[in-house]
Amino acid sequence: MKLVIIGNGIAGNQVAFDVRAKDPEADILILSAEDVPEYDPCSLPYFLGGECQQTDVFRKTPGDYKAHRIDLRFDARAVSIDPDKKQVTIHTGEEIGYDKLVLAHGGDLFIPPLPGIDNAGVFSCKQLSETRKLAAHNGTGAVVIGSGAIGIEAAEALKRKGYEVYVIELMDWILPSLFDEPTARRLETELTGYGIQVFTHEKVMEIKGDGHVTGVVTDRRTIDCDTVVVATGVVPGTALAKTAGIETGRGIQVNRQMQTNDPDIYACGDCVETIDACTGEIAMFQLKHNAIEQAQVAARHILGEPVRYLGAYAFARAHFFDTHAATFGKTQRALDCVFGDKRIVEREDKNNYLRVMLLDNQIVGGQAIGTFADELGLLIGAMWRKDDFLDIAAKMRTLPKGGAVHAWPMVRLGTLLGM
Amino acid sequence: MNVRREQLSIDPEKCTGCRRCMIACAMKHHGRIDPGLSRVNVIRLESQDLNVPVICMACDTAPCIKVCPMNARIRQANGTVTTNPDVCIGCRACVYICPAGTPRIDPYTGRTMTCDMCEGETEPWCVAACRQEKALTLCPTGAVSHRAARQAAGRTKKFHTCN
Repeated sequence: MKLVIIGNGIAGNQVAFDVRAKDPEADILILSAEDVPEYDPCSLPYFLGGECQQTDVFRKTPGDYKAHRIDLRFDARAVSIDPDKKQVTIHTGEEIGYDKLVLAHGGDLFIPPLPGIDNAGVFSCKQLSETRKLAAHNGTGAVVIGSGAIGIEAAEALKRKGYEVYVIELMDWILPSLFDEPTARRLETELTGYGIQVFTHEKVMEIKGDGHVTGVVTDRRTIDCDTVVVATGVVPGTALAKTAGIETGRGIQVNRQMQTNDPDIYACGDCVETIDACTGEIAMFQLKHNAIEQAQVAARHILGEPVRYLGAYAFARAHFFDTHAATFGKTQRALDCVFGDKRIVEREDKNNYLRVMLLDNQIVGGQAIGTFADELGLLIGAMWRKDDFLDIAAKMRTLPKGGAVHAWPMVRLGTLLGM
Repeated sequence: MNVRREQLSIDPEKCTGCRRCMIACAMKHHGRIDPGLSRVNVIRLESQDLNVPVICMACDTAPCIKVCPMNARIRQANGTVTTNPDVCIGCRACVYICPAGTPRIDPYTGRTMTCDMCEGETEPWCVAACRQEKALTLCPTGAVSHRAARQAAGRTKKFHTCN
């Protein structure tokens, strides 16, 4: 079997090494658009901030590929797929045949079409090559456009390096897809306390500079800076799949076995559109744990095992300096789009904050800051089990005092929720 | 996947909340008496007069391995999952995703730590400290019957496969 994997990210490597672990005969080829072994994009902001060495960023060494007889080809960008001839064409024009193809090329960074985006001093923080350039860059003032997880982590890293940092967010609050307004406002206060200026509900109009960045113009103010970090999100790469006639929505559409509509072409990782494991809705979370799970499912199905992907789940953490926050499941904004009986449970204790979203008395999402976050896993478990919230509350009241040893996990959950 | 050789069993009914296991654990791993450095956490549930020792159970499909941004959570040869302290940056992702909230945070370095079953010892130190109460005991290999384990695995497989 000749297995060709497009993309040398987390999902692509997981498929390659999982297949190799069970099938010593398979001929495995990874086409990488970059020229380094597998690295972890989640750790790049920490490398930028000097919290870890560059060697810690890598998940694999070139020796690992040799030891597992996996052919890794650098600087090979796939440009088109011919599903009838079972061939992939790379940018040099070379055609590579395959028996099974895995699309794991992930997403492309969305670069907003701003005037002056081509100036020197504009960076991103999603790829190792760009992050290396940013780490080698010497500047004093940095503007981070976009406040997703990468944006906030990059802002923290640059602040650690001694930059004057400004974060500009188009939406009403920071981390808009992960947190609700009350949680995000608290995080914003914390960020400001660490000396990072946050401007929400502002639109970047232009990046000033003649060859080199000198400032950023928004609809409200002009900020002088010499560095701009673009962190405006990642769009799934669907262009390659379209050349093969594969159905795409927001991302590549796959079934529960991670197959596209061509049964010999699989897709996994950031480029696919899957379903939410808890609600069954179409979801695109683009998170590392989902990529790993999807890749494991794809690898097992390639090897012929009957397997079914249970779905993706949202879990993210925001961490800067001494502030720790985490979120899972739906936010209130996402909850507003569904029918049902909704309730929000909030707990507050000094700087700690907990917010749990209930839909028809089932936990569907939550956010926490500080010590409440330490036991957030209990709530995630309750969401998976679809525990009835009213049921727990009723049972908690009837538990015999000092005798309910068997119910201690429930008591712990109830204590966390303040029941 | 590595086979777990032995497993800790917890009986909250027998726990008196003396926290000797925490002191033993801190003594073993850090050489000082400081319950904050322990990998075992005895939780006091006031409403029920209950003390529950909470400890990493090294899930077969451990979510902490997948969410760690630095890939610092590693499954060891004896089946436990531990944090590599040289790489950990203290983001606490493993604490938040853990279904039992077991990873503990070293108050001095901010890094997480979980049970490693006192590798190389005849018996984990917390078990030795709890010999009298027997709230923490060690299930030797094979204590859980293979039949029960196979049945459980069959159920899981049925759930995961499409047929």
